[in-house]
Amino acid sequence: MDVFDQIRDALKEILDIEPENITPETYIIRDLDAESIDLMELSVELNEKFGIEIIDDRIFLRTVRLHLNEAEKYKKEAADVLKNEYPFLGVDRIQEILKDLDGGPVLKMKDLVSYIECEAD
Amino acid sequence: MTRRVVITSVGVISSLGFSQDEIIENLKQGSTSFKQPSFDREVVVSPVKGFNIKNFTGRFKDARYLNRGATFCVAAAANAIRKADLSDEMQEKAGLFVGSGPNFDIGGEFPEVHNGDLTKNKQAALWILKFLPNTAASVIAKYANIHGENTTIGTACSASLQAIGDAFRKIKDGYLDLAFAGGGDSRINSGGILAYKKARALYTGEEKAKSASRPFDENRNGFVPGEGGAFFLLEDLEHAKKRKAPIFAEVCGFGCSIDGHNMTAPHPYGIWAEKAVRSAIKEADILPSEIDVVSTHGTGTLLNDAMESAMIESVFEEHKPEIIALKSWIGHLASSCGAVELAICLSLMKNNYLPEIRNLANACNRNISFVRKPKSESIKTMLIENFGFGGQNSTLIIKDY
Repeated sequence: MDVFDQIRDALKEILDIEPENITPETYIIRDLDAESIDLMELSVELNEKFGIEIIDDRIFLRTVRLHLNEAEKYKKEAADVLKNEYPFLGVDRIQEILKDLDGGPVLKMKDLVSYIECEAD
Repeated sequence: MTRRVVITSVGVISSLGFSQDEIIENLKQGSTSFKQPSFDREVVVSPVKGFNIKNFTGRFKDARYLNRGATFCVAAAANAIRKADLSDEMQEKAGLFVGSGPNFDIGGEFPEVHNGDLTKNKQAALWILKFLPNTAASVIAKYANIHGENTTIGTACSASLQAIGDAFRKIKDGYLDLAFAGGGDSRINSGGILAYKKARALYTGEEKAKSASRPFDENRNGFVPGEGGAFFLLEDLEHAKKRKAPIFAEVCGFGCSIDGHNMTAPHPYGIWAEKAVRSAIKEADILPSEIDVVSTHGTGTLLNDAMESAMIESVFEEHKPEIIALKSWIGHLASSCGAVELAICLSLMKNNYLPEIRNLANACNRNISFVRKPKSESIKTMLIENFGFGGQNSTLIIKDY
């Protein structure tokens, strides 16, 4: 089973949902209504499944807004700051996130996959 | 004017069935679930079969934080809430009173413990919730958007009847118009069995599984653990009339006391249990002679049944109410026994039916009137008794409405 399937199965168990509707583009919080305690459970589960350390703030993109505020304060390029904080995200994904901030929490299924693949290497 | 309190919704999950009709049917057919569990062939249990909480709640992620007892509690509550059909506004204001017991399933929760090290076990991040007594209440409140006065009560085997009694008082005294009350429990796991076995409260022996639970029999030798849950909507009578709610019965008296005598055994003369019975009778403003049926705690332990039968003899001097013992049918449901026994009593009242005390061959007391054969009889007023470890006593009086 690849990384995507394993994360999808974990979400299915934790959120008690049908896994068929989950794609790489699915928003974890906006679409699946995951709450903070669900992400805590997911973190424990991913740690268990993949044997890697999960840093919750990082994998769940929890502090994106904090970093953007800092970028503004110190007059740095937003994309550079995010790339520094989230090295597992590609340049294109970071641009996507910057355009998507008004819609709510940006975390998508594909971000979780990127984190796991990057850490597992 | 004193407010009157009625029961306007019932949700029940028991080894005799998941609805009041199914329960009556199984009582009449004598069909029970007693069997020896796979993990201990010396004891007998009465499990609930074919239960899945999702059949009552639909998909719902918080189920992962419920121990088995709490799943019965939440499922029964979900059922009672759905049937109550309250407006969102009424539901929001409703109270919530839950009787709850400890999670003894240590072996199931921590299958690998070596030298006291728990970290080898695969646990949910919030496994703590499976051990907190108020998790069921918290889940029910979130599930149904209930926000009124509430309590989770942990008074051992008298807990859920006490929760119902407290809900009754809150409505009677005008603090609430509506309150959901009940409980759910299961001790059918290796930890639960070990706990009561060590306390010498459990049936052990060679009897056939179906003969093990024998309340008030000379040869009784301990209780048989059961499982399940029940929940009720209690409501101010005028409030219920105004919204044309179905009325199952009136709750008219509650009594409660604590022995202060022994950590597990009841007071041998039941003086404080009797006080609880008498205060329920007083609150109901009736005479003992008006009570048609006593649903006993009747565990099948030597001490409880000796105390309880003597106490009943002392309360009812001339008039002899019919004495039933529902644990001979469903086993002992620990903290949820009162709720499930109340649910069964409501079915009995509706159907004017009294089931016999199973396995009662030689009664331990000849001066009270045990139901030995099933009877069809008009039932107007019932007294329900539950007593728990720690000397906890709860009694409730219900009337046909």
